[in-house]
Amino acid sequence: MVHHFLQLLRRAEPSRSRAQIVQRSLATLALTCCAVLVATVGYPVRPAVPQSGQAGNPPAYNPYPPGILPSDLDAEIARVRAEMRTVFGRYLVQAQALPPLTYSNTQGVGNPPTIVGSGYEAMRILGGLLNYDQNISPLKNAACASCHMPYAGFSGPIPSVDLTIVAYPGTYHFRAAKRTAQRYTYAPQFPALHFNETLQAFIGGEFWDARATGYKLQSADAEQAQHPPVDPLEMGFPDTACIAWRISQAQYKSLFEQVWGADFDINWPGDAEQTCSTPGGNFPTATPIALSPNDRTKANDIYDHWGQSISALEHTDDVSPFSSKFDAFLAGKASLTPDEIAGYKLFDGKAACNTCHLDGRGSTQTPGTGSGSKSSTTTGIDTSAAASQAPSFTCFGYANEGLPLNPRIALFYENKPDALGFTPNPLGFGYRDLGLGTFLRSGFGSAPNPNAKWTSFAPKADGQMQTSTARNVAMTPKQCPTTEAPGPYFQKEFFHNGYIKSLKQLVHFYNTRDVYAYNVTSGHCPPGKTEKVDCWPMPEVPNNIDMTTGNLGLTDQEENQIVAFLQTLTDGFTTPYPNSDTYTGVCKTGGSASTQGNELLIPTPDPLPPCASSICGVAPLPSPNKIP
Amino acid sequence: MDKLLLQLAIAISFGGLLLDPTIAQNYAPYQPGGVLPPAERAERVEIVQGPALELAHDDLAIIRWTTNNPGGSDEHFTVIHYGTAPTNLSQTAKSHIRLNRDHAQTIFRVRVDGLKPQTTYYYMVTSMGSDGVSDGEQSAVKQFTTPRPGERTQSP
Repeated sequence: MVHHFLQLLRRAEPSRSRAQIVQRSLATLALTCCAVLVATVGYPVRPAVPQSGQAGNPPAYNPYPPGILPSDLDAEIARVRAEMRTVFGRYLVQAQALPPLTYSNTQGVGNPPTIVGSGYEAMRILGGLLNYDQNISPLKNAACASCHMPYAGFSGPIPSVDLTIVAYPGTYHFRAAKRTAQRYTYAPQFPALHFNETLQAFIGGEFWDARATGYKLQSADAEQAQHPPVDPLEMGFPDTACIAWRISQAQYKSLFEQVWGADFDINWPGDAEQTCSTPGGNFPTATPIALSPNDRTKANDIYDHWGQSISALEHTDDVSPFSSKFDAFLAGKASLTPDEIAGYKLFDGKAACNTCHLDGRGSTQTPGTGSGSKSSTTTGIDTSAAASQAPSFTCFGYANEGLPLNPRIALFYENKPDALGFTPNPLGFGYRDLGLGTFLRSGFGSAPNPNAKWTSFAPKADGQMQTSTARNVAMTPKQCPTTEAPGPYFQKEFFHNGYIKSLKQLVHFYNTRDVYAYNVTSGHCPPGKTEKVDCWPMPEVPNNIDMTTGNLGLTDQEENQIVAFLQTLTDGFTTPYPNSDTYTGVCKTGGSASTQGNELLIPTPDPLPPCASSICGVAPLPSPNKIP
Repeated sequence: MDKLLLQLAIAISFGGLLLDPTIAQNYAPYQPGGVLPPAERAERVEIVQGPALELAHDDLAIIRWTTNNPGGSDEHFTVIHYGTAPTNLSQTAKSHIRLNRDHAQTIFRVRVDGLKPQTTYYYMVTSMGSDGVSDGEQSAVKQFTTPRPGERTQSP
């Protein structure tokens, strides 16, 4: 098998000779020296990319005031990079163990060719290789997994980032975006974004703001995977064709060719590597690599197959195995503890969590079992026995839960140009995250809305973010078995803006958002009040707030029981969760889950600059309230 | 005719297999969830508790009431008509909620922003589905008073 793979690798040699590459590289280097714009970067040649890379690290972008970036950031990024190499190596071994891929000969039968027997396995392994390949970034230092590691349920792997800047630095340190990294798990279940006429609501799509619609590939998940590689704040290629360029040089190129029948015979311009080694954001065009229409089509196909490969991986048991304690409980193979059972009943009943995080169980309730004037939107006890629909723990919809503005988010501080002339956020603290509403307006920080008919719905969608599946919300590395202080715990971040730092806080927020609502911004709770305990600052977006939640009437014990239930949704109970053993960082200890992370709260600027006109002044304007 | 009966028997057997509740329980959890069609609408929606003030800031109020589950679309809106005179409820605010379709009762809550401090407001509440069709219930006219600037009040 190893011999077979070596044959594949040999066949995978680029069609262009090494001499041609060197020749073109030298020409590129000469051009680079003459080009004042590019020469300002002054990259040293990196020994790690000897074949054609002229790239190095541009000067660090650090517009942040002291105390905003975590002090261990460089070390933690290095740790995650080493962990990614470990997992990449594992997939490489699996690729080497693949049997020869054979296609069915279906001539005259009416079926398309199929990779017989090993098609699924080949696709899974290819997805794994792509997910952890750090060459899929200009500076060859970031992969999808940089923000999505298995031990965190495929969400953010760096506790200090989760505790501070929320968003993860991309290829160009320290550009960073504005939201938490959503978990991969069960993401392929989200349908393509559509407006449900009956519900008069948007369903499906991916990203917090739905900007990966699935309109083209009819897979929101595959299209989601296409965004970060060309997002200048993430993996940051300046051109989608760079995916094809880098895969054309990868060890696994032949596997990609065999799985997809992809055609890498592209006439690349001499500056392809130079271009792909330069983080995007400030190029005059979205396609700086000059390709013929035919070659552009080939590169586009490879880019599409990139997304489809990642989505295929997310569909497999490597990511979405349905191996949680709750799944075992549903199958009659495990028992829940009394607290977990109590939390489960609360999840369905008094707390009404399954109103949006659908758990597949009918919630037939006994009338009048709520807790009086402090009861939740829906009250009672779940007496049902059978699953009524799939327990995806999401309704695939969108809601504005009224999170306060989180002044620690990196993007607020990125209002100065970096060495490449790119300014991530010229609006500074004038930025507001309207989520789905901004996407529907094709607005700043989102993506073009491909359906003009949807734009008019923007005011009804302002502030709405995707309802994530609750599955794996509690997943942590084994050595740090919980998300909750005093631990030992693994620091995570929750909701779209990472304002919430523990599951206890998450449940308490749903429970008391309106009970302890104060007309202040974060960092300005009245004396004697503790933020996140008995003071919740005002929502960042005051429109379309979901009033299903906000005053559930749960006791402190009931909140804890719901947390206990959420912890049963973590995969890996019945079978080990693949590649979750790779965490080499440390656990935190001490403190209380209720105030976890509060020591790093900082005051929101006061007065807060008004919402920028390029966000809140875009028609159709937010209503009925003006965004403060 | 025999052939027709045979086909019918096969169809019934196969259909029975698909509808077997045991099989549905075994497999349903592992299929992607779709969006269910709207629930059956309640014949009559009645307010069984409230409405009452839950919270008031100098510029914000939250009103709450309980009805039997109105059914229909899961996406619902709470509606409040309000004003500073009981005979002139000319202003309207709406809030989004989601029904839990199998719950017997639904608590509706609505936010009213942009209020003036130390002002008495009169209001009436109702609810409607995502299609804009009213659930049919309507409260009597009630009232609340906003606190002084910078203050907040909460119902007991």
